[in-house]
Parts: sequence; C-alpha cells; structure tokens
Amino acid sequence: MKYQTHLSILGLIVLIAGCSPEQDEADNSTPSAVAPPGETTQREMAPVVGNPTLGLPSVPIPANNPMSPEKVVLGEKLFREARFSADGKVSCSKCHNPDTAFTDSPRQTSEGFNGLTGSRNAPTVINAAFNRHQFWDGRRPDLESQSMDPPVNPVEGGLPDHDPILELVRTDPAYAEMFRDVFGTAGEDITMTQVSQAIAAFERTVISGNSAFDRYYFGGEKSAMSDAAIRGFDVYLKQGRCVSCHTIDQESALFTDHKFHNLGIGFKRIDKTLEKTAGALIKAERTGQTVDNAVLSNASISELGRFAIDRQWQDIGQFKTPTLRNVAATGPYMHDGSLATLEDVVTFYNDTVAPGEKGEPNAFQSGGIRPLNLTDRQKSDLVSFLEALTSPPYLEVAARARAEQKKLFVPGSQTKRDSQ
Amino acid sequence: MSELNKRTLLRAGGALLAASAIDMTLVKLAFGQENYEDFTFAYISDSHLQQIKGTKFVRNWDRGLERAVAEANLLNPKPDFVVYGGDLAQLGKREEIDHGLEILSALKHDIKFVMGEHDYYLDLGEYWADKVSKHFYSWDHKGVHFITLKSILVDENWINKWSSPAERMGVMAGLDDPRGSPFMVGAAQRKWLADDLAKVSNDTPIVVFSHSPLQKIFKNWNFWTDDAELIQDMLQPFNKVTVFYGHVHQIQYNQIGNITFHSVMGTSWPWPYPETYAQAKSYLPKLTVPMNRADPFHERDATGWQYIDVHSGKATINFSLPDNKPRMIAYDPELGHPVDTQFSKITTPPQHHY
Amino acid sequence: MVHRVRFSVLSLLTIGTAALLGTFVAHMPMAQADEFNEQDLQIWQQNFEEAVAKGRAAFTDPSLGTNGVVCAQCHPNGANTHPETYPKYQKQLGHVAPLWEMINWCIRNPLEGQELAANDPVMLALQAYITQERRGVKLAPGKH
Repeated sequence: MKYQTHLSILGLIVLIAGCSPEQDEADNSTPSAVAPPGETTQREMAPVVGNPTLGLPSVPIPANNPMSPEKVVLGEKLFREARFSADGKVSCSKCHNPDTAFTDSPRQTSEGFNGLTGSRNAPTVINAAFNRHQFWDGRRPDLESQSMDPPVNPVEGGLPDHDPILELVRTDPAYAEMFRDVFGTAGEDITMTQVSQAIAAFERTVISGNSAFDRYYFGGEKSAMSDAAIRGFDVYLKQGRCVSCHTIDQESALFTDHKFHNLGIGFKRIDKTLEKTAGALIKAERTGQTVDNAVLSNASISELGRFAIDRQWQDIGQFKTPTLRNVAATGPYMHDGSLATLEDVVTFYNDTVAPGEKGEPNAFQSGGIRPLNLTDRQKSDLVSFLEALTSPPYLEVAARARAEQKKLFVPGSQTKRDSQ
Repeated sequence: MSELNKRTLLRAGGALLAASAIDMTLVKLAFGQENYEDFTFAYISDSHLQQIKGTKFVRNWDRGLERAVAEANLLNPKPDFVVYGGDLAQLGKREEIDHGLEILSALKHDIKFVMGEHDYYLDLGEYWADKVSKHFYSWDHKGVHFITLKSILVDENWINKWSSPAERMGVMAGLDDPRGSPFMVGAAQRKWLADDLAKVSNDTPIVVFSHSPLQKIFKNWNFWTDDAELIQDMLQPFNKVTVFYGHVHQIQYNQIGNITFHSVMGTSWPWPYPETYAQAKSYLPKLTVPMNRADPFHERDATGWQYIDVHSGKATINFSLPDNKPRMIAYDPELGHPVDTQFSKITTPPQHHY
Repeated sequence: MVHRVRFSVLSLLTIGTAALLGTFVAHMPMAQADEFNEQDLQIWQQNFEEAVAKGRAAFTDPSLGTNGVVCAQCHPNGANTHPETYPKYQKQLGHVAPLWEMINWCIRNPLEGQELAANDPVMLALQAYITQERRGVKLAPGKH
C-alpha cells in the first residue's frame, strides 16, 4: 500500500512537471533467463524500472480543478473517510479498495450501508481519470460529479443527503485546516464541490501504465511479453476482434472506445419484459427516485443500461466499454460482475452468450458481437495477453486474483459461485 | 430526455408520452380536415437475407432484421400495420424467403408486402405470390388510399436472355452490374393504376409503396424508374401524395409538384450516395440532407427502420438508426416540401460523402 | 600513298560503324535508360487492365470470404472506398495504414475471410480495380 501511495505521488510529480509522459531512460529489466512458453508470470515479475505512465496519454485536468500535492492528500483522506455514510462504515475505499486494485474483487456486487448490495460491479479507479463517462451507464461526465452520488445512494453510503458530509468537513479540525490550505475556505464556505474536487484530484493520481504490453508495444521491448501473450495480441487484433471496442491508439492505449454497447450479459432478466421494466423506471422517477437509485436498487431496471439515462431505444441494455488495464486484478467482470474469470470472459465473446447459457442472444446485442471460432490455444493465448496489461504496482494482487480465478473456472459452463 | 425521441416505447401510469417530438406546430398546421384520423405505420425494408448453406445465413443481415422487429414491437402507440419494403431475400431463394417470414412472424402486427427485385428475379415471383403477398394491390385505411406497386420490372427481352434463373438473379443482384436493366412499372401495371386512381377523388390522400424510387436518380445503380414521369403525371392531379420507396439503403427525400418522396432505410447494409462514384453523373434530390458516411466498424451503422405518422394525409417519417441519433423528416405545409429540421442544424463536422 | 589508303579505310570504318549504329538505334531502343515506345505502352496498359479485370472479379467473388458476402455489396463500383485518402489513420487498426490493410480488415470482418499478403496477386488486383474506379480524383492522404 505504501508502495502504491509512493507511486501515486511519483505520478503526481510527473504531472506537476506539466508535460505528457516522456520516454524513459534505458530500461534494464531484461529477465535473466528465457521463460518457457506460456510461463508469463516469471517474466512479468522481473524487476521493472522505467516510466510508470508509459502507454498512457496525458491526464486530462479540468481548468477549474488544478492539481496540487495538498489537494491530493486531502482527496485521499476524503476517499478513505468511512464517516461519509449512514453507518460510519462505508467509504469510497471500501468498495474501491486500494489493496485490490481499487475494486471490490472478488465481490460480484459490493456491500454498502447495512450490508445492502447493489446491482453493479464496482469499477476500478485506476486510470478512471481518462474515462469520458463515469459509471457503467455513463450517467456522470467526470470524476467530480461521480464522487457525490454514492454517499447518498441507499445501497451505498445510505446518507439522506450531503449535509452530514458538509457538517463533518466544516467542523473536524483536521479537515478544516486542509480545506483552508487547499481552497482558502472555512466553515460555511466549504462546499460539496470542493469535496468532490479534492477527491477527483486524488483519483487523477491513481493512474498506471508501463505494463508488459506497454513496454512491448510503445517501448519497443520485444522481450517484454511472453510468446503466448504475443500470440494473444495477434488474436486480440484479428480473430478476436477485441480491438474494435477496446481500442489501441498509435501513441497510447486506453483500451476503450468510450462508447456503450449491449453485449447481452444479464439482459435475459428483462428480455421478455422490456416494456414493463421501462415502465417501472418511469414510475420510479415520477415518485421522486433518482435514476442513480433506481438502477442500483432494482436488478431489472439496472439491465436497461444506458437507456435509463438517455431514453433512446437504440441504447437498450448498453453499458460502457471499460478499460482492460489491470483486468487480471479487477474481476469479476461485466457490469453485473457475472463473469468470474478471464476464461469465462473469453468464452463469452467466443460463443456470443455467457458460458452455460443457451439460445440466441437478444435482438439488441451490438452488431459487433459474433461467434469467433477461437481454438483452445487461441483462447488461452488471449488470456495471457490480457494478463500482460497489468501495471507493475498491481502485479502481485493480479497474480493472487488469477490464482483464485483458476480454481473456479470450469470449461464449458458458468463458473460456480456462492450466491447469484 | 432526448427531444427527438419522446415518442418511445413507454406507457407508465396510464400517461401517454407525446407522440411527435419536434415542432408540434407543424402537425397542427397540417391538421385541417376532420375526415382524416392520425395514425402510424411501421416500415421495415431491404433485409437481403442471404443463405450461406443449409440453415446458415449471413449473420449480419439476420441480426439487422431481428433488431428492427424487436424495436417495432415496442412502438407505443401501436402501429396500425407494418409495411415490408422489399428485398427480403438476397437471391430470391425459397429458403431465404421462408427465413425472412420466420423472423417477421415475431412482429405483432399485420404486414403489407412490397416486392423487391431480389425477391422476384429467381422465379419471377411465383413463390412470393404463393406464400407472401399479391405483387401489386391497393386498399383504403382511415381515409387514405394506399397503393403498392411492383416497380422493379424490366424490359421483357432482358428476362429471357439468361441461361438459367439463377444466372438472371445473380446479374440482377449486382447493383453495379452493367448487364442489368432499368426498373419500370410497365404499361400493364400503369393501366391497372389508372383504373385504380379513377375511383379516387382528388382530395383523398394517397400513399404509394414502391421498391424503386419512381424518380430518376442514378441509372448505374438502378436508383431509377424508367417510366417515372408517366407515373408522376398520373399522381399529380391528387392534392396529397406521398411515395415511399426502398432499394437505396439510405435517406433520400424529394418534392415534385404535389408528390412527396421518401426513401426508407434498409436493415441489412448501407449504400454510399451516388455522388461517391466519380465516373458517372447522378441526380440526388437537392432537398436531401444526406446521412453521415457509414462507419464500417459498426455493423449496424447506416442501417435501420422507420415508423411513419400520418397527419391529415401527409406523412412524418421517423428513423430508428442503431448507433446514431434518430432522424425525423416532416412535411412542412408552409414550405410545401419535407424538411429535416433537427439534422440539418447539426454543427459537428459532418462526415461527408465524397 | 599509304596515308591516303589509311584515310579511306578509316572513313569506311567510321561510316560503316555509324551506319551500323544507326541501324541499332532504329530497331533496338534499349540503348537509352528511360525510353519506351508505343508497343511497350500497349503491353503495360494491357497488363494493367488485366489486373483491373482480375480485381473486379475478386471484388464480386463470394469465395474471397467465407459467408458469400462480396465487396461490391457495400461498395458498388468501388464507391466509398476512398483510395485517394490513404495512407490515413484508421481507428480500428490503431495506426496510419495503407489501403491494403483496410482491404484486409474488410476481408476479415464483413466477409469473415482470411487476410491476404500485401503482395498477393489478388490483393494487388483489388487495389488496381479500386483505384481505377476512382481515377481522376485528387490525392487527399489522411483525409477522413
């Protein structure tokens, strides 16, 4: 954890230097021996030096929320503040846990206030600064506005409104001092906007590149990825068609097209009752429930995806393309966390329906999904490639997560899990 | 909530959402006569279901039609009927037609079929007449006279000069195949049309469904009806005429005298606008604000279906376009022609056709 | 007397050589580096037209892919292929790409087929056909 904070501040220093990531100096991390085929772990655990943001574009920073070290420190304190919840136990970091790559892995959906669960999987904060939309359905455009929703959601923070938060930051002496330093405000002048800006500033330091893939593709290090991962990269670009939505650019890779797609995961919950479910959403709204509340507290309404936000029927069941960076550490996968392992994910894309599911995918499924006809070897190579997208600070947690995943995976059927 | 799509699939707590989003005044202006009830019909067209082998069909085209059917089933208020605009099959095979009928059977509404050249030239419409529909016909509905034409006929001699039906169909299936022949309605059907129109008064709104455009837009790709002027002359005496045509797989609209023309989108794949072929002249109606250039990386881009609101005998066409903002083109009685008020105002750089 | 004979022989030799050289020049134009004649042009034009014809055939050949879809279905007369804009950044390829890479993308994706090598005769023919249908249009590399 200390290491991660250290790296975050290192990242901050890079940012404050005010320029996009520069090329690192000579990277002397060649492994000592040639690893046997498929044996990626060995190679990736070799000591790594170099530019931690290799492969990332520069972090977009809004003009009205400039960075400063003090703001970042304040933001991190707020991020960890469990008193921002109705039972005093739920902070941002509870479900976006820095120890598990800022997610709630391996939980499918998180437990908020009073142990209540929602309908969606907690996405990672790592590199969230690059997202053009926040939340699975993109209902908030930036980190600032995103941060204010969970504390007042009944299944997350459980607060009735933001007043308890304001009360705390205005009266707690530690916060008072920090707000004065950072924003020059005190007492009643401390606003939720400032709270959200500090949190967002902290989150803008939670960025990580420099994975084995980055060193291979952008750093020109041909030995950075294993042979299996290199073969997997070819599958990713061609037969797997992954790059269509999880895009790679010429100078950097965010692995997302910033768009929304209906994959069909979880859609069968509402396939036959679309009108009714959409009607339930409208009804909920007319009784004063926000969309934020409705989608997390009702698993069926949740499946409407982006449609719940913009009411375009083209967007029925659509969810945001997430980044694939650190995907090995951020399972389980998909908006509802229903796919437990990377193998399940690859199986899903190959078959166009979730493992163990029968029948045709729903009619609103993205046109880009189609049977891939991958061989077993191509599938495992693809998984090796996905593992190569892990940034150095998260290699350990990724290795642990993957070890757990491999215990669960049963080829040809849905991975067994406790509940759901 | 999006302006353009207030008309959605929802009805909650008994409250109906507004039927037509933009420019309600437009509709009110057009509304004058009491004889005509407002109603809606859906229009799905150009699916080109293509058999690969046995029960395996080209997935992309199948998915396009399935999606249109699923969306059409969510229309609220419900449409009075659905029009299928032709080219259900790609090579006119029974398997393809049957496959199409199977997918369409999920529609909760009656279907009125228009014949396309891809449905016709294998067996000259024998299976279609048997299993699907009459080739051309007319009927009346809520004060409007509907006519379905079979406008993909060609010169008789062309039909007989091929070594097999399959060869004939293959040549006709190639949009740019220079061995093809221009579409027409033909003398026999024009006679039928004249007799049919003789029974209709001039102030009865008329809606014509055709596969070919009943205009002369681009001969190379058969965006063409050879006897277009003759047909138009027959329709001009009527005060309110709207023609809907398929075949072009893109948005086009026009006004010639009293006749409003609207193309409908295909569910299968898009075609480029004719001006993109640098070696031949084309005549896209000047009124048309073209769609953005199709993005090949999105399989459903530049495909879609539509539903048409009929107010007082004139039509507003609402396009449902996957991966795109919906479009609406309404008849403006003050200007006397159809107008796309939203799309023509878009300020982001358009992806032009060139 | 001797020098007169030598002069004659010399002139004869010179004239003879010149005459011979003249013959070479008239019938065998390989002597100059960049010269070609009508016949060459005809042959080369024929070669090109054959490539264009082969490209058109591939453009409408259902066995280029595995699902029966042909290029001409979405690109009648090669329209909307924009060969004049390549090389350009293609977002799904992730880099500035030449025309043949985009053709391969189409073969792999809508046609569900196998990609062709850059110097595969069919790939070369496809490019010849596509470019020929777009003749006369100004170059606009990078244009979107």
